[in-house]
Amino acid sequence: MNAIEIEGLSKRFGAVRAVEAVSLAVEPGEIFGLMGHNGAGKTTLLRMLLGLTPPTEGRARVLGHDVAAEVLAVRRLCGYLPADYALPPDMTARQFLAYVAAMFSLPRAEAEARAELWLRRFGLLDVADRRLRGFSTGMAQKVGVAQALINAPRVLLLDEPTSGLDPLGRHELLELLRELARERGVTIVFSSHILSDVETLCRRVGAMHHARLIACGEIAALKQEHGVATMDDLYLALVRREAA
Amino acid sequence: MIRFMWLDYRAALRERKVWFAVAIFAYATLSLPMLLAHPPPHVRDAMDTWFGARDPFTLFMFMWTDLAMNKLIAMLAVILAGGVLLRERDTGVLPLLAAKPISLPQYFAVRTLSTCGVMATVYLAAQLAGVAYFSATVDGFRPGPFLAAASLHVWAAIFATALAATLLVVVGRRGPGLLVGLLALFALVGLAFIGFYNPAWAALSMINPISLGVQSLGHLGDLGPAVLVPPALALAALTALTIAVGAWSVRKMEA
Repeated sequence: MNAIEIEGLSKRFGAVRAVEAVSLAVEPGEIFGLMGHNGAGKTTLLRMLLGLTPPTEGRARVLGHDVAAEVLAVRRLCGYLPADYALPPDMTARQFLAYVAAMFSLPRAEAEARAELWLRRFGLLDVADRRLRGFSTGMAQKVGVAQALINAPRVLLLDEPTSGLDPLGRHELLELLRELARERGVTIVFSSHILSDVETLCRRVGAMHHARLIACGEIAALKQEHGVATMDDLYLALVRREAA
Repeated sequence: MIRFMWLDYRAALRERKVWFAVAIFAYATLSLPMLLAHPPPHVRDAMDTWFGARDPFTLFMFMWTDLAMNKLIAMLAVILAGGVLLRERDTGVLPLLAAKPISLPQYFAVRTLSTCGVMATVYLAAQLAGVAYFSATVDGFRPGPFLAAASLHVWAAIFATALAATLLVVVGRRGPGLLVGLLALFALVGLAFIGFYNPAWAALSMINPISLGVQSLGHLGDLGPAVLVPPALALAALTALTIAVGAWSVRKMEA
């Protein structure tokens, strides 16, 4: 069984097509890249997988759960980092992670242990008891990733997770994601317009352009098919083919 | 869910606006004895007509409940509940939290109950501080009836908070929502004593939840469960109903 199955998923906001008849599948333990320009439909697609935006047409299943009918079951199994978000300014990082853990009904001791683990892993222990209002963009992004991991998710949906991170933080995050997929079998959808990150992390990729999935497959195979050497060239080739 | 509610209550208690609420309750408590020193004669006369008593304690309770607490709960309910859901949506916190396994109606209910808890905490703390302060500064002060009346009126404060939160999400925009909440609550507060002013309207005034919260003022000599429990239960039920309406109205909101 695939971890994620999407069949003909569409979303329209009035006359605007945000996602148009997207179908794809992601295998368990896979890191699947979703690339595309800003406004291509990546964020809407991820939001539909979590039931945050109801689809206009089509259906999707995450770990066998229908995203429309079993939305809370899907969310219980998923970790999600949106592209645009803010952290509650009056909470500390530790309090916020405990708060998110409580939303998953994690027992207090387990929640505290997991919060400690991720705060340590992201180098945030020294600032764990400081209010989030004073956090830098990079620190806030690390807290954002930590909250997505607090429930030990089986599926991670990450929307531009490396934005705001310095090169070292970015490298550490990509390493962590590889480790999660390899050692814990976590399925990851990694949405980004930073194509080097997608290439570093993913074996398969989906390219979105103007609400449509214009290509989906192994990066190496796609490069060979289009006779290009780099991700940038691959993306441009896909977009130009679409335009033609 | 209980732990989440507890953490949310603690988080709500740490918000900056709670300090404003504490300050304004402290101001009301400290300034009341000064107001009480020279009450207008027509207010003294009214006590006899409205409550059948002319003693200083009845006058004190009317001024404390009507001039101070009623106005404060109307204003602070709007301030405390002004962030529920809409501020989180507007500031970008909601997209993060809405992806968790709690539906928006559940989340609204938890946030509103926490805010009601904060209101109740600050309100009751002010009453306890008031007992200590008024015992030393107000002639004829009676702590027992004062606290008994507060145990009912706190439910009006809780209802006011739930109503402000619900009106906010029903309106759907923060500015207009806060304004509608303020107008609605001050209208209810303004009509709260109408059953005492005109006994012919006493029964009709019971549809006003704030009137239910001030019923103890007509029975300061014989306050007991028979006087306090029925309006408290009615206010608790109205609060639950109000939160349910708010939860229903956010079910299709997009985070």
